[in-house]
Amino acid sequence: MYTVAFPMKHDQKVFLIKFFAALIAMYLLVAWNPVNDHVIVPATRGIAVAAGALLHAIGQNVIVSGTTIASSRFAVNINNGCNGIEAMLILLAAIGSFPATWRARLIGLGIGAVIVQFINEIRIISLYLIGAYRPSLFQIFHTAVWQVVVILAAIIFFLQWSARVAPNRLANGS
Amino acid sequence: MPRIDWQTALKGLAGFVVAVVIWVAASPLYDRAVAAGAEALLRAFESPKVTHLTATGEDVKVDRSDFDPRSPRPGLPVIDLTFNWVLLAALFAINPKPFSDRNMLRFVIASLLMYVTHILALATEVMSIYVLRLGAWSRVHYGAFARNFWGTANHSYRFVLMFAIAFGLWWALRPTPVEASRSKQKASRRRARS
Repeated sequence: MYTVAFPMKHDQKVFLIKFFAALIAMYLLVAWNPVNDHVIVPATRGIAVAAGALLHAIGQNVIVSGTTIASSRFAVNINNGCNGIEAMLILLAAIGSFPATWRARLIGLGIGAVIVQFINEIRIISLYLIGAYRPSLFQIFHTAVWQVVVILAAIIFFLQWSARVAPNRLANGS
Repeated sequence: MPRIDWQTALKGLAGFVVAVVIWVAASPLYDRAVAAGAEALLRAFESPKVTHLTATGEDVKVDRSDFDPRSPRPGLPVIDLTFNWVLLAALFAINPKPFSDRNMLRFVIASLLMYVTHILALATEVMSIYVLRLGAWSRVHYGAFARNFWGTANHSYRFVLMFAIAFGLWWALRPTPVEASRSKQKASRRRARS
């Protein structure tokens, strides 16, 4: 007979509470119009420009206008949810809530942000190509595949980082 | 949680692929279950009870018995609210011994808890339609606080909370190495007694 118990350690419970509190606080900050208009939208434009340049490099004749990448075949508009900011917020909340030194947190955030944005650029490029050449697959890749892959990458990076900074504590649940 | 090696990464990838296939195949049926739950929840707080949610296989149609029968009914793609289950499945797949009774039982419990969050998410989405997207009807029936509250709740779920819920459920319910070693000790004690 199996009994169900959830033996979360105190540290793990504290981590979860801090994680959700930090995530909600950061969400409210990012959703605030001045921050959205002066930080998130320019950052998203930068992401679009980088993706446009990479698409040019592989022979796609695209034009980037604001946060939209367009050609005669297809157009993608990069909104919140497609700019990697959501994965970076989750990474920031997780790393910030985990017991570690500030130096370790900053290094983790820096490397994690680069990895998340690198994967996000691949997502945008692949979604453009799928939309242009296999439009029937666009919805499933846009909704389920790439969003989960980007978040999963952020979580796996966090687990790696947390195992490195606290090998025998919270990450192990011990 | 051990460091992620190639074997663990492959387990995660396999879990992710299998989960996508299951999620795509089960979504039409699952949408009905979520729509039924959200309809019951919304009607519990309505007087008179007017909301009807109907899963069509592609989306969920939002209907109210007090709407003009000639006006079009909004449709919600529920898959946008439920795909975090794929993330949950991939995370449970990277646990040590993913097919163990302990891991599978906890995955089922996490999935059931996630079902509750999906009902809440759909109810929130319907409320955000009521307060924000029905033009003059919305303005007449709801004030600024309701618009901000339901709009923010809906957007925050779609933007980050749906992923955080998957991560939080996995974090809270994953079998830890401590439990694994405890169950090993119990098993060896049982063997020693018999």
